[in-house]
Amino acid sequence: MEISLIIGVSVLSGILTYLLSNKLKKGPVFGSATVTLVSGIIFPYFFPEFGTTLMVVAACSSYAGMVAVKNIPSLWEMIIVSVITSLLFIVTSSSYVGVGGKLGTIAALSCFTWIGFKKFILATNINVNNTLKHRSVGIWS
Amino acid sequence: MKINMNKIYILMCTITGVTLTYYLNHHMGYGAIISNGLIGVLAALLLPAPLAGVTYTASFVGMSSAAIIPSIALATFGGLVVGLIIITTTEIYAGIGGKGGTTAAMATIITRAITGLLS
Repeated sequence: MEISLIIGVSVLSGILTYLLSNKLKKGPVFGSATVTLVSGIIFPYFFPEFGTTLMVVAACSSYAGMVAVKNIPSLWEMIIVSVITSLLFIVTSSSYVGVGGKLGTIAALSCFTWIGFKKFILATNINVNNTLKHRSVGIWS
Repeated sequence: MKINMNKIYILMCTITGVTLTYYLNHHMGYGAIISNGLIGVLAALLLPAPLAGVTYTASFVGMSSAAIIPSIALATFGGLVVGLIIITTTEIYAGIGGKGGTTAAMATIITRAITGLLS
């Protein structure tokens, strides 16, 4: 229950920040800071038990949502990055506790993971296409 | 020697950002997330975009717990460290979400290490 809630809040926060900063053109700082501030006020109020964890997840995901459109061009990709962020957050919850910037580092790692994965797939496709071209030349020549 | 005013502004913003966030976080008791959000919104509304980004990045250092950065004077020193890192690494990984947080984490760890050496 708690894990699904963490993933849900992360996705919501990531999408909201991405929309505020890129689609509504408010800038990444305003987008992220607004989502962080609102989540810091709302979650502890509505979820007294998990509120603290949820507001931290929302802040973490909002840092990932500050990514530029050239790196994450669509909302679907932002959803995937938010899910990666939430999973990384769960895995690393006991590491570097209290160090300022830990959440931003998790966000950066999530972005790098997705961007790296995309580049890997692109490179694999190019390799496959080149191999097919070589084979076709081999068959028909 | 010619003084680059942009770099002075960056240092001023980082020192102010960290100190204010730390003050809101620990002395006024708002907590790390609300303090960071508050400083970010104010920076976005009052400062030009590059300086707002710098201030928001710096405020991540102010989110550190009292066990990592025990006093507001050390937080101010952390502001200086993060400012120097930002000035040195402006072009690296621009546009990646979380770059500011990674910079802040590095600054926090460096501040903690220097504090540990001197204490």
